[in-house]
Amino acid sequence: MGKITFQDVGQSFQGRSIFSHRNDVVEGGCITAVCGANGSGKSTFLRLAAHLLLPTEGHVSVREAGEELRREALFRRLSLVTPEMRLYPRLSARENLDFFLGLRGVRLTDEDYEALLARVGLRGSELRDTWAGAYSTGMCQRLKLACLFASGAAFWLLDEPGANLDAEGSAMVLREARRAAERGCVVLLATNDPREEAAADEVISMA
Amino acid sequence: MKSSPWHDVRLVFLKEMKSALRFRAAWAAMLMFALTTLACVSLAVQGGALSPRLLAALYWTVLFFASMAGIDRVFEAEDSSGTLLALRVYGSADAVLFGKLLYTFSLLLALAIPLTLAFLLLMDVTVAEPLLLLLLVLLGCFGLAAAGTLVAALGLGASVRGSLAPILLMPLMLPIFLPAIFVTAGAFGGEAASLSFLLGMGLYDAVLTVGASVLFPYLWYAD
Amino acid sequence: MNVKKTLGILLALLTVAVLYAVFFLVPPAEGLGYYVRIAFFHIPMAWVSVLAFLLSAWWGAMYLRRRDMRFDALSARSAKLGFLFVLLATGSGAVFSKLTWGAYWNWDPRQTTIFVLLLIYGAYLTLRAAMGEARLRARASAVYALFSFLTVPFLVFILPRLYFSLHPSPVINGSGSIDMDTSMLLTLLASLADGTLLYAFLMAEGKKEPRKEETP
Repeated sequence: MGKITFQDVGQSFQGRSIFSHRNDVVEGGCITAVCGANGSGKSTFLRLAAHLLLPTEGHVSVREAGEELRREALFRRLSLVTPEMRLYPRLSARENLDFFLGLRGVRLTDEDYEALLARVGLRGSELRDTWAGAYSTGMCQRLKLACLFASGAAFWLLDEPGANLDAEGSAMVLREARRAAERGCVVLLATNDPREEAAADEVISMA
Repeated sequence: MKSSPWHDVRLVFLKEMKSALRFRAAWAAMLMFALTTLACVSLAVQGGALSPRLLAALYWTVLFFASMAGIDRVFEAEDSSGTLLALRVYGSADAVLFGKLLYTFSLLLALAIPLTLAFLLLMDVTVAEPLLLLLLVLLGCFGLAAAGTLVAALGLGASVRGSLAPILLMPLMLPIFLPAIFVTAGAFGGEAASLSFLLGMGLYDAVLTVGASVLFPYLWYAD
Repeated sequence: MNVKKTLGILLALLTVAVLYAVFFLVPPAEGLGYYVRIAFFHIPMAWVSVLAFLLSAWWGAMYLRRRDMRFDALSARSAKLGFLFVLLATGSGAVFSKLTWGAYWNWDPRQTTIFVLLLIYGAYLTLRAAMGEARLRARASAVYALFSFLTVPFLVFILPRLYFSLHPSPVINGSGSIDMDTSMLLTLLASLADGTLLYAFLMAEGKKEPRKEETP
């Protein structure tokens, strides 16, 4: 099982300190939510956990089965969904998924693809051959989630996953997150949404 | 199941190709720059004869500057369309570097073909050794692709004002361009230059590629 | 600082010694006459500009390994000094060239090499100036310094084969035999040491300003 540990972590941008001296542990097998007001550093926390950023102070270690994961080994086990993330605008949904999942060694048959779309509440007929650049934010969000679900990642990092989704979509996200946690994944959500906070087993609060 | 590294490189390469073929801006600027520059020079010279060495220098200069429009876009396009984040999460450093390198190489070759034809026509050049020229173009474009892909990644994550690629690439490319100019002059019918320069260029290309593959992970990963 | 003072004194003494040797001890060179004196300035400058680049790349590599910003500061300082030295080397070389062969610049392999080094320094400093974020800047500079270092073996060994060199049959060429008057050789070695000391002194001097905020 995985674990993300923050040891005496501080982060500042251009001299402005976002937070400091954080010591947190995100365990596998449960849903952890990072909550706080806008600007409190929730997204930064997530990015530090994902090793997309190096902390100004301290150390963030991501471990699986006791071994620390870095660089390629880490990213192979991790998947991320954030609002700023975009899919390739000139590739279709299928092409986008084939690309990203292909890099994870996952090959989708046509049936797999249809099933995956259904899982995130999309229909293949809506998407057929159109380029991702034309999709609504809701559709993009669902596709990004589809990528995450199919990637086989052991570390799920989600930034405001329910944003741009209707009630049914948000429920779908929480359902999938719960299933992943039950499988032993590390599930970390950065959120302002009270429902998502309520669904979490552990809450990390950014002051 | 870990697939072969070439599998991932191929995925990135094909993705780049597909996106580029569906988006003219990816390559039109390069082509227009090259053709416009050539047209200007040809007009200015008005059929007067230029020495093979001058022609060779001109050829490589135009190729270098025309490539910049393509090289600028290697990572910048990903960044501005917001796709860089997803690529960082799903793509390994090696797959991204080599995939983009091979794509840039193909792009530069695709530039070199019309450029060379236009050059031969507008500057009224007879190529004494076409195969030699082809080999030079292959070696030169490969080096430019290798160095260019790494240099394009230097600004990753930062908000870099303006394009530094030409400034940063120029010193790196001189060990290729200088011999290339001499040998190209030979290919254009001037005095033949030693073919050991080709070996030197090939060696340098290899060094650049290895160097890029060692250094790129430092730019791609935060740690 | 004790080290700096010692360096400073040594430097002053050696410089005086070298100047004395250059103007009073060294005989006029074969075919170059008294112009050879410029060489005792030019060669150390060229040597130090390569040394500074080497060290800048080395400290860059150390930064990438350890992520300690002090290595980046060293790397940057070395590059700034190196840039000054390479300008002096290029300038003095051009003057020497004009005085002895009638043209300031003729693109012989050594002039080409020093010019490329000048370009690399310029590019490195431009890169630093363009990046505002300290750690990203440190990383990018280190990678560029290391990458551009790859050109050095090619410039030093391959370029010279390209064409006939006007540079005096270089006595420090690696052609084996050192074809020089002993006093000249000793003075040259002393001037090289002097140049290196100057570099070391200026590097140490730079450490005095640690609170200088974010100088690119």
